[in-house]
Amino acid sequence: MKEISEKELKKLNIDELTHLFVDNINEQNLKLIEGIEFLVEEDFDNFTQNLNYVIETNTEVRIKKAFESKIFKSKLMFSKADRLKLFNKINDIKNIGEYSANKMLLYRVVFPDEEFKLQILNILKSLKLISNQLTNAIKFIGSDLTKAHDICENVKDERRRMRKEEWELLNRLYNYDMDYLSRTFLYLKELIEGVMMLADHIKSFSEYIQFIAIKYLIFD
Amino acid sequence: MAGDLTSILVIVLIILAISLAFAIGANDETLSSLVGAGVLKFKVALLIGGIAVGAGMFSFSFSFVAKTVGADLLGEGLTYTTIMLLTVLISSIIWLVIGSFAGIPLSSTHSLIGSIVGVVIVYSFLQGGVNPETAFNWVKLGNVVLSWFISPVFGLIITFILFKIFAKTYLSKLKGLNQIENSEKNFKWLLLITVIFAEIWVGANSGEALGILYGLLDNGSLNMGQYIFYAFICGIASCIGIYFAARYVIRNLASQMIDSRPSEGLIIQLSTALILMVATLLSLPISHSHVIVFCIVGMGLAQKKEVDYKGLGKMGIYWVLTFPIAAALAGFIYFGFNLFGLT
Repeated sequence: MKEISEKELKKLNIDELTHLFVDNINEQNLKLIEGIEFLVEEDFDNFTQNLNYVIETNTEVRIKKAFESKIFKSKLMFSKADRLKLFNKINDIKNIGEYSANKMLLYRVVFPDEEFKLQILNILKSLKLISNQLTNAIKFIGSDLTKAHDICENVKDERRRMRKEEWELLNRLYNYDMDYLSRTFLYLKELIEGVMMLADHIKSFSEYIQFIAIKYLIFD
Repeated sequence: MAGDLTSILVIVLIILAISLAFAIGANDETLSSLVGAGVLKFKVALLIGGIAVGAGMFSFSFSFVAKTVGADLLGEGLTYTTIMLLTVLISSIIWLVIGSFAGIPLSSTHSLIGSIVGVVIVYSFLQGGVNPETAFNWVKLGNVVLSWFISPVFGLIITFILFKIFAKTYLSKLKGLNQIENSEKNFKWLLLITVIFAEIWVGANSGEALGILYGLLDNGSLNMGQYIFYAFICGIASCIGIYFAARYVIRNLASQMIDSRPSEGLIIQLSTALILMVATLLSLPISHSHVIVFCIVGMGLAQKKEVDYKGLGKMGIYWVLTFPIAAALAGFIYFGFNLFGLT
C-alpha cells in the first residue's frame, strides 16, 4: 500500500480516514491469509515474510491518530460515538491478525494430508471473501446504509458455512489415527481457531454495521 | 396598622412573584436540544434562551395568561385579596417542594390554579354575601382545565403527524450516514430558530408569576406603571434564572442528547411551541412539561419505539392529583389565616 504523508492525512475527512484505515487493515488481512496459504504449500520463506509484514506494518497507527484528533474536534456529529466504535472495531481486526501471526510463527508445521490442506484452503478462501465484503460494507456506510446492511447479511451467511467446515476440520484432526506429534496437533488446532476468531470478529462487526443501519435509517 | 401589614404583604408578594419568575427560568430545559446538538456555544445559547423567555414573559404580561390567572378565573365583581394571593403562592410552593423531595414530576401551573380554586372556595364560604356558585368564572375555569387534557394530546398528535410527513417526504430518502449527517447539519439552524420561538411561548405561557402581579393590579395594590415595571423585572429574573441556574439541568440533559438527531428535536420543539402559542393566545395557562412529555411520546410512537406506559400512567396520576391536593392545601392554609383575622 502506498505510503501517505502526514500532510495528506490531515487533509482527509473522517469518512476518508475510515476508508483508508479499513483498506490498510484489509490489505494486512489478505497478507495474513496469503501467508497461511504459503504455509499450506510448505513455502516457509514466503509464509514468514508475509506474517512479519502483518506484525511489523504500522501505517494504521498514524491513520488512527489522525482520525482520533479529527473526531475529537468535530462539531455536530450525532453519529460521533458510533463512528469511533466502528473505527475501533476495524482496529481490533488488526490486533487479532497480529496475535494470530505471532502465534503462527512459533512453529513450522507440516500438514497431515491433502484433504486437510484443501479444507484449510477453503476456509481461507471464505475468510478472504468476508474480509473483502466487510471492507465494502464499511465503505458503503457513508453513502448507502441499505447496501451496507445487505452486504453484511452475505458476510453472516458465509461465516455460517465456515463454521460447518471448522467442525469438519476439527473432527478430522481429532480422528487421525497416526502417532501424531502433540505440537503439530496443537498448532493446527490453534491455526483453525485463529482463523475462526478472525471470522467471528468480522461477523460481529457485520452485526454492528446492521445495527447502525437500523439505527440511522428512517423508513416511511 | 392594617395598612402597614397590607403594604408589607404586597412587597412580599412582589418578591415571591419575581422569585417564581426566576424559578421558571431555572427549571426550563428547552435549550437542552440546542446545546446537545452543539449549535451554539453554551453561554451564548443560555443568553439567547434567557432573553427569549424574558421577552415572551414581558410581552404577553398585559393580558392573556396573566389576566386569566390574576383576574378572569374569578366570578364577576370578585378580586383577590392580598392574603388570598399569598395563600395561593404558599400552597403552590409547598406542594411543589413536596413533589421535588418525593421525586414526583408536578406541574406548577396545575398547582397554582388548584390553589386558586381552593382559596376562592374557602373565601366564598367564610365571607358573607359571596355565593360559591358565582365565585368562579366557570366557563374560563372549565376551559383552563379542559386545556390541560387537550394540550398534551394535541402535542402528541401534532408531533406524530409532523414526523410522519417529514419522514415520508424527506428523511426516508436519505440513504447514507454522510447524507444524514449533512442534512442534520442544516437542521441545526432551523432548530435554533424553533427553540427561540419555543422559549418565547414558554415565557408567554408562564402565568404563575405574572398572574400574582396581575391579581395585585386588579385589586388596586399596584398601578399600571408599577405593574409594567415589575413585569419587566420578572422577565429579567426568568432570563437570569436560565443563565445562572438552568445551566446545570440543561448541561445534564444535553450530555444525554449528543447522539440525538437535531431534526427530531426540531419537530418536538416546534410542536410544543405551537401548542404553547395557541394556548397563550387563548389565554389558557397550560403545563409546558406535560406537553413536551407527550410530544416525546408522539415522536416515539411515530418511530415505532417502545413507550413507557407505566411511567406515563404514574405521571398521569400525579397530574390529576395535583389539582385537588393543591386546592385542599390552599383552602386549609387560607382557613388558618382566617382564624387570625387575616382575610
